[in-house]
Amino acid sequence: METSLRYEYTVETEDLAKNYIMGPVTVKALDGVSVKIRRGEYLSIMGPSGSGKTTFFNMIGGLDRPTRGKVYIDEVDIAKLDAYELAWLRARKIGYIFQTFNLIPVLTAVENVSLPMTFAGVGREERLERAKQLLERVGLGERLDHKPAELSGGQQQRVAIARALANNPVIVLADEPTGNLDLQTGLDIITLLKTMNAEKGVTIITATHDLKMIDVSDRIFWIRDGKLERIETRKEVSVRPVGRK
Amino acid sequence: MKREERAIIFPIGEAISFSIESIRRRFTRAIITIVSIILGIAFLSALLTMSRIVIAIGGEAAGTEAVPSYELWIAVIALLVCGVGIVNSMLMSVTERYKEIGTIKTLGAEDIHILELFLIEGGIMGIVGGIIGGVLGWGVAYAMYAFQQQSAEVSSRIVQALLGSVDLIGYSVVLSVILSLLSSMVPAYMAAKLNPVEALRYEV
Repeated sequence: METSLRYEYTVETEDLAKNYIMGPVTVKALDGVSVKIRRGEYLSIMGPSGSGKTTFFNMIGGLDRPTRGKVYIDEVDIAKLDAYELAWLRARKIGYIFQTFNLIPVLTAVENVSLPMTFAGVGREERLERAKQLLERVGLGERLDHKPAELSGGQQQRVAIARALANNPVIVLADEPTGNLDLQTGLDIITLLKTMNAEKGVTIITATHDLKMIDVSDRIFWIRDGKLERIETRKEVSVRPVGRK
Repeated sequence: MKREERAIIFPIGEAISFSIESIRRRFTRAIITIVSIILGIAFLSALLTMSRIVIAIGGEAAGTEAVPSYELWIAVIALLVCGVGIVNSMLMSVTERYKEIGTIKTLGAEDIHILELFLIEGGIMGIVGGIIGGVLGWGVAYAMYAFQQQSAEVSSRIVQALLGSVDLIGYSVVLSVILSLLSSMVPAYMAAKLNPVEALRYEV
C-alpha cells in the first residue's frame, strides 16, 4: 500500500484503442480513450452491451494488449512489462470481480480467498489468517469451509470480493458485479464495494448497466461505440433526469 | 517490481491437494483413464514376470525366447494407446476448465503454476495406475502358474522367480508415471499458454 500513496492517478490511459479483426472487417472495440483515474475513486463505466466496456477493462487489467495507446498503472507503462511482471501486477495491484463470480469450484471459500496470496508468495499461516479475516469482514465468517456450490449467488460474490482484496490491491476491477444477482442482493454487493472503497482506500472501477451503481460512484464514464462519450460526477447525473435511463 | 522476487512456486502440498480435488470432481473420467493405464501396465508387467518365471524353470516350458517379441510389441502398442487416452482425458479437463484457468491467471498465476497443476494431475493418475497395474500384472503371472500341477522343485523355483520379480512393480510405476507425464505435457502446455481474455470469455 505504501507505494500507491505516492501516485495521484492510479490508472491513466492515453489514446487507448483496440481493434478486433473478424474476417474481412475490423471492429473498433475501443477507439481512442484517454482517462485519468484518481487513487481511491469509485468509478462506474456505463454503456450498452458491445460498447467496449469489457475491452477497456481487459486493457487496464493487463489482460489484453492494446492496438494503440498506453495504459499506466501507478505510472508504470504496462506495455513494457514482461509476462512475469504482468502476473506480478495482477497478483498484487489489481483485484478482479466477475459477473459470474468465477470462484474455483474445487476450493473452499477460505482457499479461494487465499489463492491470490499464494501467487504473491505469502506464507500459509498468514494467508489463511488473512483470508479468514476478509471473509468475516464481508459477512461470511460462518461459511469459511463451504465450497462455491454450497453458497448463494450473493455469498459467492462476497467471497469474490474478499478474494479481490486479498493482496491489498490498489485497484479493484468489477465487470458487471451485480449482473447475475437479484435487486436486493445486488444492492448489498454495491454497498459492500462502497464500504471497502471507503475503508481501504482502494480504487474501484465497475463496468455496469446497473443504475443503482450511480448512487455510490464518484464519477461515471459513459462509453458508446468504443469512445468516451462523457464523464459526469454523481451530482451531474442526479440533476439530469435523462441520466436515469 | 524486483527481479529477485521471481520464482514463486505453487506450494507443492497445496498444488497436490488442488489436483486431487480436480480429479475427484471428474472422478468417472479419471477412473476410466486410470483403468486404461492399469490394463496397459498390467499387461507389460505380467509379460515380464512370466518371462522371468520361464527362465527360472529352465526352458522346460519349451520357450526359446523369454518374451516373444510380438507380445512385447502388443504391450508397447497397448501403452501407446493408453498414452493417447491420457492426452484425450487431459485435453477434456483443460477445455472444461478454461474459465478456471483464466480466473487463476487474473489472480496472478504464472504459466508455470498452471503447468504444475496439470502435470501433477497427470502424475497422480500415473502413480495410481502404475501401482495397481504393476501389482495386477504380477498377480496374473502368479495365477497362471500357481494352479498348474508341478513338482515341488519347479514350484519353489516359480515362487523364487515371483519374489525376485517384485522389482518389476517398481519399474511399472516409474514407466507409468513417465508415460502419464509425457502425455499430460501437451495439454498442460496448452492450458498454461491460454490467453486469459479468451479463457474467461469461453462458455462451457
